[in-house]
Amino acid sequence: MADVILKPIGNFDLTVEAEDITPDNFAGKSADEIRKILIWQAPAQFPISDFFTVEGNGGSSAEDTTIIVDGNVPRVKRIGEKMTAGKIVIKGSAGMHVGSAMTGGEIIVEGDAESWAGMEMKGGSIHIKGNAKDHIGCAYRGSWKGMSGGRITIEGNAVNQIGGGLIGGEIIINGNVENFCGIRISGGLIVVKGNAFRTVGAEMTGGTIVVGGCIERFNPGFEMTAIESDLKFNDIECPGEYKKFAGDYAIPQKGKGILYVSCDNNECL
Amino acid sequence: MEALLNTGSTIDEGRLAKGGNKYSEDYKLECAVCWMCAEDYASLGCPDKVAVTSRDGRYTIAVYSKVTESVRSGHVFIPRSIWANVVVEPDTFSTGSPRYKGSPVMVEPTNEEVLSAEEIVLKLYMGGE
Amino acid sequence: MVFKNIICPVCGGSCDDIQVELKDGKIDVQNACKMGNAKFQEVVSHHRILKPTIRENGKVKDVSWDEALEMAADILVNSKRPLFFLGSETSCEAQEVGLHMAEYLGGLADSNATICHGPTVMGIQESGMVGATAGQAKNRADMIVYWGVNALESMPRHMSKYGVFPRGYWTKRGRFDRTMVTVDPRVTPTAVASDLHLQLNPNSDYELLSALFTILNGREPHPSVEEITGIPISVMKQTVEMMKESNYVSIYVGLGVSSSYGKHRNIEIALNFVKEMNNYTKCNIGALRGHCNVAGFNQIASYLYGYPFGLDFGKGYPRYNPGEYTTVDVLREKDVDAAFVMSADLVNHIPADSAKYLAEIPMICLDIAPCPSTTAADVVLPGVIDAMECDGTFYRLDNVPVYFEPFTDSPFPETKSNEDTLKQLFAKIKAKKEA
Repeated sequence: MADVILKPIGNFDLTVEAEDITPDNFAGKSADEIRKILIWQAPAQFPISDFFTVEGNGGSSAEDTTIIVDGNVPRVKRIGEKMTAGKIVIKGSAGMHVGSAMTGGEIIVEGDAESWAGMEMKGGSIHIKGNAKDHIGCAYRGSWKGMSGGRITIEGNAVNQIGGGLIGGEIIINGNVENFCGIRISGGLIVVKGNAFRTVGAEMTGGTIVVGGCIERFNPGFEMTAIESDLKFNDIECPGEYKKFAGDYAIPQKGKGILYVSCDNNECL
Repeated sequence: MEALLNTGSTIDEGRLAKGGNKYSEDYKLECAVCWMCAEDYASLGCPDKVAVTSRDGRYTIAVYSKVTESVRSGHVFIPRSIWANVVVEPDTFSTGSPRYKGSPVMVEPTNEEVLSAEEIVLKLYMGGE
Repeated sequence: MVFKNIICPVCGGSCDDIQVELKDGKIDVQNACKMGNAKFQEVVSHHRILKPTIRENGKVKDVSWDEALEMAADILVNSKRPLFFLGSETSCEAQEVGLHMAEYLGGLADSNATICHGPTVMGIQESGMVGATAGQAKNRADMIVYWGVNALESMPRHMSKYGVFPRGYWTKRGRFDRTMVTVDPRVTPTAVASDLHLQLNPNSDYELLSALFTILNGREPHPSVEEITGIPISVMKQTVEMMKESNYVSIYVGLGVSSSYGKHRNIEIALNFVKEMNNYTKCNIGALRGHCNVAGFNQIASYLYGYPFGLDFGKGYPRYNPGEYTTVDVLREKDVDAAFVMSADLVNHIPADSAKYLAEIPMICLDIAPCPSTTAADVVLPGVIDAMECDGTFYRLDNVPVYFEPFTDSPFPETKSNEDTLKQLFAKIKAKKEA
């Protein structure tokens, strides 16, 4: 494995769009060649070396290349967009669209992630150790199909519209979510270990959502069908008793979406 | 008191804004006003003026109070204007539109002076220039 | 001389029956509402901005048009990422020039929809819309729903011209042929005037719509929805029945739906509900647009560049992502370094964080009267009043284009209209950029 270390040095007064920071693009390039790769800031392009110091050469292929971003880059967008293989470690917070539309490989964000991480991703994994904002693994504006494969793990909390339009893959959130988690999903799995504020699984027509904590405001179009305990989805385990709901009957579909809600934390449902 | 802030047009707010009178006393008297129900007004000690503070505590604005039957307890209304927008939540939930309706705020009695629209721009936004 | 059939340039109603008489420095206005009348008085008002100004070392001073345009062009050309906020109180023609400037400089272009019915437009994109012109609703609708909108105060003539009172072809008895329902957390004058008022809790529009939809699908909504929305399920059922039994339901949504949280998701489910309701009766939905030409920017931006608002030209082609390229967000995140604000009082209408940054960066403001935005601006260009002093096009609330003609002339020899001012500015920008 070859490591390329990018250390941010500033000039982020306006946000930067760095969809060219991917193992695919760094593979086969020397540190010097990587320094010259152009990334966008507003309507102009500048070499990576304007924003980062670069150490280490890329590997022979994307699989062999690891990119380590050694610092906070909340104003650098689109890192790892469309990557197919290899690994990116961001040792701080990441900007919008990290790993969006990726098809393979691994991204680790040690801090927080901004909105749109893993948008419409097809494969690979994203591990966010801090919190995440809106639209994680979601469909793009106007599209009905979000993430279709791979896995996103969020250790902290996420905010709104997580996994919107999910058709496959898995999103696991250890913390809480707020509004519209799993809106309009038709497949895949979302596990929220903490609480959800409202509208979980709104307009869902398929797929599975598990909420381990409390749902403050339950979505009205769901009907309880059973009580199940100790859920298991391959390697993901959700111990305890769950109320199983079918829905969302607010939309004219057959209610094929499944929503599991912890019995202990939702006595009033 | 914790409350949800609703903002919106009133006919005189519209008349004064469209007529280019945002720096008039009438505009201040129409818009720098926090409407609340009698119960909430009494629980605050019937103050003439209240300070409305954004939930994160970063911005606060003094406005006149007004009793109305049009809102329920725990809800307050300020006509759409610079006073209301000082405390409206700037997060847009990734939609571009801030929470003009239903922003969480704190409402407390105050003796602070109610600023004019121009004073807000000069003192709060332009750093006293 | 009396001028008839003048278009009112205030709200999205675009009333086309205003009568004005201009003589001896006074203007007499017939048929306009309070807001409309106030705006027509601007033609003769004493506080009108008549001279361009610039701010130099903290002091504001009068300058010639040419100096002001030069400074404006310098600000925009030297900016790495300018924001063009192309307000809605002017013509599509002026907005079009602004859009082209944003594209030329690789900046951002946005308009009032972003802080108004932007989420409505996003919802329409997600699910499509069963719409109708205002005239259709006037002639056919026997049930009117004002959802999250206080029509009496935000579009004062809507109820009398289109919504509730007018005698239509199939609603000959006017108000007596119509049932009026208001959904609002406040008891507004509109709510008082209605037959049924659903006083829901703030931020619970989505749950209420979702429950109505569940009922329409023949299912029982979860009982917790009563506490969430504050509306009994029996009332929800009654509302759905009333709609099904009507001949034509017309729903008007306001900022209560698009601005409370839920935003575009509220609109999206409302639109889907309306689609489904058409299995039982005729039903349409439309937004009450606040400013005269707020719909126009959405229309022209869509047909010129493919997206209705919040456009980014950073990469040379238009991109769209509300929350990323929209005014409030780019200002809050300090992601622009100069702004051009036309015919909109942006500083007044955005939250403090965004307004503060806007006041901090170089800003050019084109407006007709002193307001927070002109106070904070570095260059102020006097505005020409559309539909009074120049001709052009507005789009009405129902997206019908309305061509307007003036009854007097621009008070400035230097410019005929805001479109003209922008074209002069664009010429200076091009000259500087290509030099």
